Amino acid sequence: MSDQAHRDTIFLEDAEVLSQEAYPAEQYFLRLRAPECARHALPGGFAHLRCDPLLPMRRPLSIMRVSPEEGWVEFLYKAVGEGTRLLAAKRPGDRVSLLGPIGRPFEPHPERPRVLLIGGGVGIPPMIFLADALRRDRRFRPLALFGSEVPFPFQARPSQHLVGGLPAEVIAAMPLLDDWGVPSRLASLQGYAGCFSGYVTDLARHWLDRLDAAARAQVEVFACGPHPMLAATAAVARDFDLPCQVSLEEFMACAVGGCAGCVVEVRTPAGPAMKRVCVDGPVFDAYQVFAD
Amino acid sequence: MDVGGEPNPRLSIEFCGLRFATPLVLLSGCVGFGEEYTRIRGFSNRDAGAVCLKGTTLAPRLGNPPHRICETPAGMLNAIGLQNPGVDHVVREILPKLDFGETRFIANVSGSTVEEYYEVTRRFDDSPIDAMEINISCPNVKEGGVAFGNDAAMSARVVAACRRATRKPLITKLSPNQTDIASNARACLESGSDAFSVINTLMGMVVDVERRTPVIGNNQGGLSGPAIKPIALLKVHQVYQVCRDHRVPIIGQGGVAGAQDALEFLIAGASAVGVGTALFYDPLILPKINRGIADYLDRHGIASVSELTGSLRLHAPEASACGCAPSHPGG
Ligand SMILES: Cc1cc2nc3c(=O)[nH]c(=O)nc-3n(C[C@H](O)[C@H](O)[C@H](O)COP(=O)(O)OP(=O)(O)OC[C@H]3O[C@@H](n4cnc5c(N)ncnc54)[C@H](O)[C@@H]3O)c2cc1C
Ligand SMILES: Cc1cc2nc3c(=O)[nH]c(=O)nc-3n(C[C@H](O)[C@H](O)[C@H](O)COP(=O)(O)O)c2cc1C
Ligand code: FES
Repeated sequence: MSDQAHRDTIFLEDAEVLSQEAYPAEQYFLRLRAPECARHALPGGFAHLRCDPLLPMRRPLSIMRVSPEEGWVEFLYKAVGEGTRLLAAKRPGDRVSLLGPIGRPFEPHPERPRVLLIGGGVGIPPMIFLADALRRDRRFRPLALFGSEVPFPFQARPSQHLVGGLPAEVIAAMPLLDDWGVPSRLASLQGYAGCFSGYVTDLARHWLDRLDAAARAQVEVFACGPHPMLAATAAVARDFDLPCQVSLEEFMACAVGGCAGCVVEVRTPAGPAMKRVCVDGPVFDAYQVFAD
Repeated sequence: MDVGGEPNPRLSIEFCGLRFATPLVLLSGCVGFGEEYTRIRGFSNRDAGAVCLKGTTLAPRLGNPPHRICETPAGMLNAIGLQNPGVDHVVREILPKLDFGETRFIANVSGSTVEEYYEVTRRFDDSPIDAMEINISCPNVKEGGVAFGNDAAMSARVVAACRRATRKPLITKLSPNQTDIASNARACLESGSDAFSVINTLMGMVVDVERRTPVIGNNQGGLSGPAIKPIALLKVHQVYQVCRDHRVPIIGQGGVAGAQDALEFLIAGASAVGVGTALFYDPLILPKINRGIADYLDRHGIASVSELTGSLRLHAPEASACGCAPSHPGG
């Protein structure tokens, strides 16, 4: 047998709900006991959850935080339909079948230490996981920019970290990242206090515009969020000639590469190809996904 | 890694001269080209008697645009559109990486013309593949597929062409989207089919009311999962009437999600039982079904699972309380 490296890399766990916290606009933080997933997960990875035994299909959710020591994984999700609403009804002590970790993770490059993390809405979780990994790796200097058109699922506060090249009035930050020493800023069209008034990608453009060429050559962009935000992110990256990795979503059945149900069209040197979001992604090179 | 332990000899069956360790078969299109589910710790192809690979055509196919799948009550729709890298790639690059010591591998042959079916079968004939399943029931491609499968004469022509291309076991996969599945089975049998897969998916649609469009990119898709099980069982029963005297085995499939379902298919006339959609919510379901079947054999003092095949005892027409003939639809 030649290559069996893929074998036994995903785990099925009967995960106990440790906590579930509700935030405005039906957003939830969910923590599950899933030691194998916690031990093996990498930023960009996701889990496939059985929200309720009555539903014939599982639901994919990005992994936001893990504690390999304590054996838990944490998610941030918005209740948008039947599956996520049933998940929101789970209480501590309940069980949720979890399949994970799944997917090709983000790949930051040390020669580009200025990592720009762009998250939109419930695309924020994988950016938090990546920020957590990068702050432990002293070679990187991440900056996180998050956008949302519903109240952020945390109590924003003025940042303790100065970031040059951003509008002076844009001071609101995510406390968790701030405590980690990772600067973050928030954007919204809803006029939330301390937030940039506009799209998160416009805030990114503002910052990049004010970097000198040498600093800009050290930037790599990572993004997760709604499709239009990812397209705008890819356009910004292209304008500044920056490498860019995006995390995509598509409906999933198996989530292990078996059904080819979750594909996106990508451009490859050999022509167009259909790639599976679950195991060929969910992280893709933005230039392969978004045309000029 | 074989975590399922020693295979239980009472579950083993003989299928067209092939030894299956258990009557369970992993279904085409649900497990890629055989290795995808082994990503999951605890999953082993050894827990299946055979694994059917994804539908394969002569040239590579990109498949349909998204969305390709969608949840439905007790099931799902799919319209993958036979995305595959083409038969030559499968034979040269994929088959050599499969471990034929773990299970039997069955190719799933698809095409748009009779000639294409012939050619794909011929190329698989010249490979280590154990058997071939002729997919004349794919509802998700414009030419071929179900267009052939819903017409007994066309089905027979495809089977006859494939028969000329190989002496390996040929399994014809029948469509439920037709009025008389039994006469179609008879025509395929006379053209040289060694076995049948019953059933493929039923055509269906789901509408996004906000956009007023079908959810599925291909507009329509094939329905699978528990929702189709009663239909599949009746079709297996009907095809079994044709197959019984010829000792032609059936892989019963459609909505199997536990040992109880598998037993129903066996009793209705199946020699083997397919598992597809159920894997999506319980990827480690195979050992559970195997155990459930073994427990049933114990409880009923049955020596071998093959004794169950076709053991269904129909009610006599008079016994029906309403006095309806058994063929009466509903009422
Ligand atoms: C890799 C990945 C990571 C994700 N991470 C997050 C996250 O961290 N937080 C979060 O809130 N959401 C995330 N999503 C989206 C989340 O999976 C969907 O919101 C969820 O499946 C909706 O299910 P539902 O039953 O509540 O909604 P319904 O709309 O009722 O779902 C109907 C069907 O469509 C599927 N579906 C609907 N929308 C999506 C979607 N956007 N992506 C995939 N399938 C969908 C469902 O799985 C279900 O099968 C992620 C999706 C993917 C693919
Ligand atoms: C995502 C998906 C892809 C499928 N692809 C194929 C295929 O390529 N060829 C084929 O003969 N059947 C295909 N099928 C049909 C299955 O093999 C099976 O006959 C059907 O789904 C019924 O079984 P189930 O309810 O256990 O899934 C596919 C089914 C699904 C759900
Ligand atoms: S969901 Fe089945 S291949 Fe990705």
